Amino acid sequence: MNDFRDPSGSGASPIARLVDAFHRLPGIGPKSAQRLAYHVLRAPEEEARDLADALMEVKRSVVLCARCQNVTAETPCRICSDTGRERTIICVVEEPLDVVAIERTGGFHGLYHVLHGVISPADGVGPEDLKIAELLARIRDVDRDIAEVIVATNPNLEGEATSMYLGRLLRPLGIRVTRLARGLPAGADLEYADDVTLGRALEFRQEV
Amino acid sequence: MHLARLTLIDARTFRRLEVELTPGVHVIVGANAQGKSNLLEAIAMLATTRSLRGGTDLDLIAWDAVADDPIPAARLEADVVTASGREHVEVSIVGQVVAVGVPPQRAARRFRVNGVARRASDLIGRLRVVLFAADDLAIIDGPPAHRRRYLDITLSQLDPAYVRALQRYSRVLEQRNSLLKRLQERRGKPDELDFWDGELAESGAVILAARAEAVRVLGRDAAVTYAELAASETEALEVIYEPHVPAPVAARLREHDLAERLLEALVAGRTEDVRRGLSQIGPHRDDVRFLVGGHAAGVSASRGQQRSAALALRLAEVAYSKARTGDAPVLLLDDILSELDPARRARVLSVAYGVDQVLITTPDAAHPSRAELPGAIRWRLEGGRLEPGE
Repeated sequence: MNDFRDPSGSGASPIARLVDAFHRLPGIGPKSAQRLAYHVLRAPEEEARDLADALMEVKRSVVLCARCQNVTAETPCRICSDTGRERTIICVVEEPLDVVAIERTGGFHGLYHVLHGVISPADGVGPEDLKIAELLARIRDVDRDIAEVIVATNPNLEGEATSMYLGRLLRPLGIRVTRLARGLPAGADLEYADDVTLGRALEFRQEV
Repeated sequence: MHLARLTLIDARTFRRLEVELTPGVHVIVGANAQGKSNLLEAIAMLATTRSLRGGTDLDLIAWDAVADDPIPAARLEADVVTASGREHVEVSIVGQVVAVGVPPQRAARRFRVNGVARRASDLIGRLRVVLFAADDLAIIDGPPAHRRRYLDITLSQLDPAYVRALQRYSRVLEQRNSLLKRLQERRGKPDELDFWDGELAESGAVILAARAEAVRVLGRDAAVTYAELAASETEALEVIYEPHVPAPVAARLREHDLAERLLEALVAGRTEDVRRGLSQIGPHRDDVRFLVGGHAAGVSASRGQQRSAALALRLAEVAYSKARTGDAPVLLLDDILSELDPARRARVLSVAYGVDQVLITTPDAAHPSRAELPGAIRWRLEGGRLEPGE
């Protein structure tokens, strides 16, 4: 942020430091970072303190659920300790936000497991860097009645690599391993579908 | 097929160029540095989504024109008319601004077909071009990467499955090489290679089979043309595909079990791959050999022989593109006619008059002459502006 360099040359000004901090957040470009920084600058001190407290609080109190590895304030988390949920099926996702997305469908009542990433050697991520050992331990020791694992990783190369790895690991334990279907989005227009998506929808077509 | 309308905005020397084009032969006359090559490059980019002249995508943006724009971008658009109708294709190069007042270091490419955002692989091939340029010689005497690039550009325009296989192959290869380095450092287990080997074999087989077939047809055709171009010569041109795979795999290029054989070879080569931390076999290391009189053309052929070989290859490409799609590609001749002797020039022009549309650039209004190009439509290109010429 050249615009906010301290003219005295003694390094970054406090504003530049804040702009840079906002800019590091995902989805925040340079313009938004400046706007946010100026908002904080103009806001009452209370509001700034609230923000700072909220940031620190989240780092202090949010932990990973010992079972599903989702972010939570208490462990085991609300979903893992909910006795109303099916305890024979686990949906494996890449990130905590994916749990929110699947919960929103209202169509899944089993348990979750968050991997916190996918296998991607180019990014230095191997199976041992994901919460895969935790998944195995949990199936062995806690959730012993698991009959099916749904792998809900993204339908890209790395997601597929992860799903194949999990399939090989879990099938020998007598667990059914499934993958989310791939195809056309609901409400879509065939004409606008790209070739790859349409090709897959054809390949994985269903009986009517 | 032909280009019916071309629009270039903030692309290289073009601030805003909008032109309607008819089928037929177009001669674009312009002094040096008036944008002749840039014009043909932009058209080629609408066909292949990539610049054929090297350099980065960022170089395509006309910086003096867009320096004050919040989002600096170049836009290329064309209406393409084929037997099956008219389509609108659009390629945008958008500079990725990271900070105010700092020039972008990266650019993103965006594609639209008939106004709808698409992937590159869905745009490639809507317009097909064959570009003849002076640096075609590099296909003959340059490094193997030039020849792979030649094959990729040629095949991509003809086969969407090839584009997808190529994209997937390069992503899988990057992941596999990273994993090999991890394994070399004794992190991870060899069976983590299973997925990547399977994927590499699947997409690799598509690439190998397509290249083998293309080189077979192009090579056969180019050899015939070469013999005609160089009538006084007794030495023949041979074009031979050299897939970088072990012999048992190379023997199966036209068989249905190619992917399985390639997978076996990848698995068998794992120990060596891990030792080197790099994938040793596969189409990423392919080459094509050009032989004249049985000797490597890049090393021992004369300049004239090399030129004839490159020209014969391009002419074969025109026929191949037409044979595979039923529709002739648009020909782009980037100031190459002046270098050719009358016989070769006549040969190129006879092919040019056999397709729907040809764009020829030249620095000299007198060459090629009116007599050589009957019925040609003449244009004058000056300072990035294209005007009808007389």
